Amino acid sequence: MDAVKILGKTLVASPDRQHEADSDVAIVRQVQAGDVAAFDQLVLKYRGRVYGVVYHLTSNREDAADLTQDAFIKAFQSINRFQGQSSFFTWLYRIAVNSTLTHLRKHRLRTFFSFEKVNEDDAVSREVLAALTDATGADRETFARELQEKLNEAMHKLSIKHRTVITLFEIDGLSHQEIAEVMECSVGTVRSRLHYAKQLLQSELQPYIRR
Amino acid sequence: MKSRKTTVSLEDLLRIKRAEQPPAEFWNEFERDLRAKQLAAIVEPRPWWAPFIRVGARVAHYQLPVSAAAILVLSFVTVREYQAPGVSPAFAPQSALHESVAVTNGQQSTPSVLEVSTAPVAYRSADLDLAAADVVEPLTEESSVAGAASTVEPARILALDREPSPSERYIAANLAAAQAADPRLMDDVFGASMRSAPVRQPVRDPLAQSNGPGESRRSRLLATALPVNATANDLPVGTSDRVARHLTEERLYDTITRVGLKGDRVAIKF
Repeated sequence: MDAVKILGKTLVASPDRQHEADSDVAIVRQVQAGDVAAFDQLVLKYRGRVYGVVYHLTSNREDAADLTQDAFIKAFQSINRFQGQSSFFTWLYRIAVNSTLTHLRKHRLRTFFSFEKVNEDDAVSREVLAALTDATGADRETFARELQEKLNEAMHKLSIKHRTVITLFEIDGLSHQEIAEVMECSVGTVRSRLHYAKQLLQSELQPYIRR
Repeated sequence: MKSRKTTVSLEDLLRIKRAEQPPAEFWNEFERDLRAKQLAAIVEPRPWWAPFIRVGARVAHYQLPVSAAAILVLSFVTVREYQAPGVSPAFAPQSALHESVAVTNGQQSTPSVLEVSTAPVAYRSADLDLAAADVVEPLTEESSVAGAASTVEPARILALDREPSPSERYIAANLAAAQAADPRLMDDVFGASMRSAPVRQPVRDPLAQSNGPGESRRSRLLATALPVNATANDLPVGTSDRVARHLTEERLYDTITRVGLKGDRVAIKF
């Protein structure tokens, strides 16, 4: 029964997400009607998530900030063409992801990492770090930095499309259906890419995985 | 603090990645930059070619079928419009030519294909002096009209006994129009054959015009019987006819057989 629930979660958007989408459409209608200040609500609501996706794709905080701002500007400029056929956040994600993919393709040979600090307030990450450092006896902060570099290196060994899928699913928590909408591909393609990306990451991060 | 978690999966490692988040002050700077960019986007007009980029991006999804269709259309047009390099029409089509004539000659009108082809044709009776095989010289109203401005040779094509074919009519009409538009050019191109002839000379049958071998010999012998200073004008007709009648075929044959060639000898009879 639990497996069915999990599967359903990965396939379709949750009811909360649907409620969010409805409220977004109302704000978008305000902006389209000329209330430019209403767009700030959308920026405040989605800037963290959009920035997170772009940052995990680029592994560079400066590029991520620029690309996130550009995505919001593009969305603002094109808000009159938003028909409401998809949810606003899917539309915004698509803009952000496409801008990022274009940027990555353009600067394929130039890769500079600049990481954000791992948030110590996150309970799950704190537990994982504790488990890993307890086993090795290493200094937690040093180990966290090392693990962060390894994670980003492993992510950058993936192709852009595989990296996008794993970012949207594992880090941002989108469903297969939502990822398919954002990436404009089929759900089967999303699953296939996800499976391949996980396999590769698992082989790359094998020393850190405890069974 | 000892961790209760003993297993670490890939998903757990990716949770650490998820925990990479910017500090709160980062968002202040982000907000400021975004505001500046937003204002710039409002103030600055978008470039005129921006919509084309959007259209190009949409078409890019269908680049294969669009390219294939474009190649197909291009090939079709090329094959359809292809013309051998050496084969080019001497004149523009009648309709185009009419327009150019109207422009260059002002009110001057040119007989159209239909006018020329439907003009009534009057045949003059053949001259009795000519042989029966002579080509009948037609006198058409069209040719007389054209003769007032300039008699056009191609009009003869239309004056045949049979019904002129469409191609003949087309060629005749085009030549007439071209002649009317630029007579000098037509003279340069076709020479005297296209030059206008106010009075048409009757055409004789070539076979009737040519003399037989006996006739030439007869004239040569006749020349010997005439005075040296005699010309065609002062020659009395009755005398020449009489002398010519006396020159019989036997005598002529005899003059031919006086000269004989046999091997390395030339025999002449006196």
